Amino acid sequence: MFSPWILSLQLILFPLFWRGIYTTETNPSLALTVPVTTVFKSAVLKGDSLVEKVEILKPIDLELACTWTGNPNKLPNITGYWRKDGSEITNSRLTVQLENEQYNLKRVFRITGDTLGNYSCIFSDTDEAKIDFNVAAPEMDDKKDKPIVAYVGDSVAMACKTKLPPNTWLWYRANGTEQELINATTDPLRYKISVDGNTTKLTVMNLTEEDSGVYVCSAIYNIKASVSRVEVRVITFMEPLKPFIAIVAEVIILVLLILLYERWSSQRSSHSPTENGVHAEPTHKLTREGNNGMDENTTTRQRKI
Amino acid sequence: MCWCSTRGWWEELLEDWLIVMAGMELMEQSKMWFPYHGGLLVEFVQYFGESAQAVSWITSIGWPCSSPFGTALCNGYGARPVVMAGGCLSALGFILASQATCVTHLYLTLGIISGSGWALVFTPMVASVMQYFTRKRSLAMALGFTGVGLSSFAFSPLFQLLVEMYTWRGALLILGGLSLNMVACGALIRPLGTHKAVAASAWSCASLFHRAYSYLELSLLFQRPFLTYSLAITFFNCGYFVPYVHLVAHSRHEGFSQYQAAFVISATGVTDIVGRVVSGWASDLGRLRLPHMLVLWTGLLGLSLLMLPLGSLGGSYPGLLIISLAYGFCAGAMTPLVFSVVPEIVGMERMLGALGLLQMIESIGGLLGSPLSGLLKDLTGSYTASFLVAGGFLLLGTMVMTTLPHFFSCTDQRPLQRHARNYNNKQQNQQSPESGLMTNSLSEKLNHIDTIPYSQPRTDDATTIC
Repeated sequence: MFSPWILSLQLILFPLFWRGIYTTETNPSLALTVPVTTVFKSAVLKGDSLVEKVEILKPIDLELACTWTGNPNKLPNITGYWRKDGSEITNSRLTVQLENEQYNLKRVFRITGDTLGNYSCIFSDTDEAKIDFNVAAPEMDDKKDKPIVAYVGDSVAMACKTKLPPNTWLWYRANGTEQELINATTDPLRYKISVDGNTTKLTVMNLTEEDSGVYVCSAIYNIKASVSRVEVRVITFMEPLKPFIAIVAEVIILVLLILLYERWSSQRSSHSPTENGVHAEPTHKLTREGNNGMDENTTTRQRKI
Repeated sequence: MCWCSTRGWWEELLEDWLIVMAGMELMEQSKMWFPYHGGLLVEFVQYFGESAQAVSWITSIGWPCSSPFGTALCNGYGARPVVMAGGCLSALGFILASQATCVTHLYLTLGIISGSGWALVFTPMVASVMQYFTRKRSLAMALGFTGVGLSSFAFSPLFQLLVEMYTWRGALLILGGLSLNMVACGALIRPLGTHKAVAASAWSCASLFHRAYSYLELSLLFQRPFLTYSLAITFFNCGYFVPYVHLVAHSRHEGFSQYQAAFVISATGVTDIVGRVVSGWASDLGRLRLPHMLVLWTGLLGLSLLMLPLGSLGGSYPGLLIISLAYGFCAGAMTPLVFSVVPEIVGMERMLGALGLLQMIESIGGLLGSPLSGLLKDLTGSYTASFLVAGGFLLLGTMVMTTLPHFFSCTDQRPLQRHARNYNNKQQNQQSPESGLMTNSLSEKLNHIDTIPYSQPRTDDATTIC
């Protein structure tokens, strides 16, 4: 990697022109039949490498601009090239000139559903300096790695959320490698799907054990669908009941042990009347002792505690 | 310690401190639904779709009002059956709550049933620990109360695990089972045979009313020292809980990260536990009178609360941390003393009823304090005002405490007598300071409702400092 002698680089972030997505600007040099907007994204490298996320909603032309403020060995010419998903893009090697103490590299990519991926611009000097652009459809906000647990006969609600609202939401029930679409209208007693902008909620009612499994929520954008999986586990009430019964049994055993010990120790002390003097037996013990109790009381009165 | 028996000294030690362990366990069990109720409430909000405020009332209702009822039952039937019944009731509430289908069910089960069960457990347990110990009373109370702090450490991860495995329904069921352990703890309480058994002659209205009146110790409400003390404790409660609720939010507000804020809270919890034990041990040394020590700790607590907004001025993390640690220590230090001072004021005999009434009156402070501080935050936009007001309440309570009768004397005074005509001088002079309850024979106890006061003027203690 880069040695620490790379001096401080300035980081200038240009704003993303997302409005370009919603306008009908076209790039005449690309001669397309469908108007495609151009989005500009640039970044300045500071350090060894930089990763940027680019979220695409529909097919566009993406212009990626990289700027590197260089290293102390500012050579007048270095080589720059592009990589997609790790492999070098053919014919992308250029000679980059040092202008205003910076190296600039720029390229336009046609982004469609198939060409999403990781684009990198690389400045090749003695070492390599690169900026990665992760070009992808918007990801789901929350990752659910723990299964949702629910009881038979109860209902369970699953939610998915993104930052940008998709065209539609779809829910699937994953069955091995296949996915089966969940249609709430055909089965309103069991499924309920609600959509609220960038969130959606699937409620499964009257759960049975067969409803356990993986459910997939899919946010459909023009470019690609973004999916998120959530696992549901349906259990009967017997499952928590087992530790509960174990705990109740433990409590009963403890209480019995304590009461038995008390009875044993009080019987032991009552078998030695000479040492009895004053003893703070509870009232029920005294009444049980009957006559003895009266004698003990008189001794109690006389003896100073 | 407080009664002689044929058992060896080690057996005595074992059984007496077993009560403390039982007390700790009870505190853990009974307080456990306070620390984690935050996690529970989140689950309820998600499942039932109600607002967080509606759901948070569940934990507030129920137990304050049942406290005097619990101590009255204790007066009538002894601590053991009451605590065991309370444990069963608490468990029943949890078990029924696991079947709830709407928030109203939760109010009824978790709020009222479990809350009453908890009230039947907590105050009698505190009273029992106090009855068992005379010399090491404060230390025993302090150790018992450490159960509260330990419970927050132990039960939060456990609760998270239970919710993940069984959802909140299963978690409530298992917690109900765990609550049954309170029954086992209650079984450890050896009856001392001191509960007032009024000659159960006729079950007429008058005798029932008389019994209720004496069991609830309602006559205390007409006596100035008890009322003064209750007022002081109510003021304390107004300010005491504010940092528990707002410290994290205040830290985040000042710009510290979530981990820094969480660390502040954890550190405060640790110093809280340390403060409890240190205060219990220090009070038992007998250098200062208990009310004086209480006033010292609450005064320091009030000051630390007033300085809390200052500590984090300018984004200083060490400043916030130091003052929070001081707050935690003082808050922990005052907790066992609040209960230990009660027998000095009302006497051992009426302590049970006094505790119940005290709980009920002080809960008003707790109910008022937190919403008030929330309101102040909404009005002023920062937590400074609420911390200042909380500190002010504590200092106000401290000043009210100084108006207790004989506050400025250097020796322990005789506590209240219910009826002056039953005051027995001779018997009093024959008592030693360490004799707790078992001063009279049991038959005498059974015949007289009023008994001998607990503490004597410590004329033999030359090292007492005012």
